[in-house]
Amino acid sequence: MKLNSVRYLVGEGFKNTWTNRLMTIASVGVLVACMVIMGIFVLISQNADMAMGNLEKQNVIMAYMEDYSWALYGNGNSQLGKDTTEQADKNGIRPSDYVIHNEDEAKALCDKISELDNVDSVTFVSSEEGLKSAIKSMTEEQREYFTFLNEEGENPLSCAAKISMKDMKYFDKTVAEIQKLNGIDTIQSSSEDAERILAIKDGLAAASAWLIAILMIISLVIVSNTIRVTMYTRKLEISIMKAVGATDAFIRLPFVVEGMVIGIVSALLAEGLLYFCYRIATEKIVSTFGAVVPFGDAMWTLLLLFIGIGVVAGIIGSVIIISKYLRKEGSEFAAI
Amino acid sequence: MEHEVKVSTAKPIIEFRGVSKTYQTGTHALEDVNIKINNGEFVFVVGSSGAGKSTFMKLIMREEKANTGKIVVNGFNLTKMKRKTVPILRRTMGIVFQDFRLIPNMNVFENVAFAMHVVGADGRKIRREVSKALSLVGLGHKARSMPNQLSGGEQQRVGLARALVNSPDLIIADEPTGNVDPNMSYEIVSLLTEINKRGTTVLMVTHDHNLVRDFHHRVIMLDGGKIVADNAGGDL
Repeated sequence: MKLNSVRYLVGEGFKNTWTNRLMTIASVGVLVACMVIMGIFVLISQNADMAMGNLEKQNVIMAYMEDYSWALYGNGNSQLGKDTTEQADKNGIRPSDYVIHNEDEAKALCDKISELDNVDSVTFVSSEEGLKSAIKSMTEEQREYFTFLNEEGENPLSCAAKISMKDMKYFDKTVAEIQKLNGIDTIQSSSEDAERILAIKDGLAAASAWLIAILMIISLVIVSNTIRVTMYTRKLEISIMKAVGATDAFIRLPFVVEGMVIGIVSALLAEGLLYFCYRIATEKIVSTFGAVVPFGDAMWTLLLLFIGIGVVAGIIGSVIIISKYLRKEGSEFAAI
Repeated sequence: MEHEVKVSTAKPIIEFRGVSKTYQTGTHALEDVNIKINNGEFVFVVGSSGAGKSTFMKLIMREEKANTGKIVVNGFNLTKMKRKTVPILRRTMGIVFQDFRLIPNMNVFENVAFAMHVVGADGRKIRREVSKALSLVGLGHKARSMPNQLSGGEQQRVGLARALVNSPDLIIADEPTGNVDPNMSYEIVSLLTEINKRGTTVLMVTHDHNLVRDFHHRVIMLDGGKIVADNAGGDL
């Protein structure tokens, strides 16, 4: 197609949009509503994702180490060490009975854990810190009962590594990898929480995909309908075009432009409306729930999504509708 | 009135060989039609309603396909023609409709220019050719008028200008005088005759026997889907 024709046809497309302005406004209105619903869902989904991410980080596991306390309380009679020439201490424990002998060795083990792929962060927790935290979570009565634990040599807790993971999807695999490391005794984790978080995330992703697909179909129907109405109003023009030798592409282009204009205008309006609504909504939410995803983070994704939907709906809608009628000829066309 | 009738030694621009057309409804519109129309001829196609005139024209414009036989128009074999080639064929012909088919929200100039936009002509060429075509049909002074400000005859002349503007080899006029008064009918056929004298082949369907009688052109008469008369002298 020649450049002159393209210029002329694009102009015609814009002219048609204006000529059928009532229909255009109606289509833009419905399309904006669809896009805003879609946008709200995307924003909810992103916020939920952020919240889930926070939950994931909070869902830490504790890897207890094979240290002196472990040899004394947890595995005291295991006689890990075979070296009987070693001198046992007053509790009958020899250095070869446990793996982690001091804080440096414990921290070195923490470093090894942090090298694993799915490990986000590792914090060393000494047995004293572990005890403090355990006592803190107790009721007043329990605290009174367990006061003896604070006495010298009575702390039964081993030192531990507090680990958070990057992706809960690989939870079991990561736990197994940590477990394999020399010096790790038991791992305290809540795999149920991890599964729950994963299920919520997957559910949200699936719901978003379905909603977007459904709203895309609705958008397509709306744009197609507008194009169909435009085509009826222009059937005389189209029959003349065909008679004077217009190609299908020539006849189709103004409709495609019209569809695209409707899509792009709707996208821009929806983006603006969503920004306005999100700002009002988040002002209230931030004060109650804390941080939310800033609109700026989602802005380009949403704009691209909206324009993409608008343009695709415009092109596909017009191509489908027009192709159906392009096969009709002369009087046949005038009679539709 | 004296009119030039082209001799049959010229190259055929339209050729029908054993053409039959039956619609899906079972109507036999044309039956074993054999005809040659030479380049530069002016031909009237006459016949009563249902004689097959419209089908004959539709086959030439490739709005319909023949069931059997071979049709060649302007060097294009329409029997084997693919759908995407049809626009190229139609650019070699200008079509004049009985109901004018002017676009109401375009003025006279734009209506004529429209046919040139379709073929991708540039602005300067469009201005030049449209002015020329409008002058030829005597409407140069009404270029800015809207179709509803024109009489039936004037509207048909705009239609004629639109058919002419791309300098086609063949003009197909489907009852162009059907919606205009007798005086204007003569003017339109005179114009077509003038265009024909410049070398364009004209094929005109009409019901008006007076026109056929007064303009001495070749006449093809159809009846029941068959050619029952073909008189190159113009008298039936």
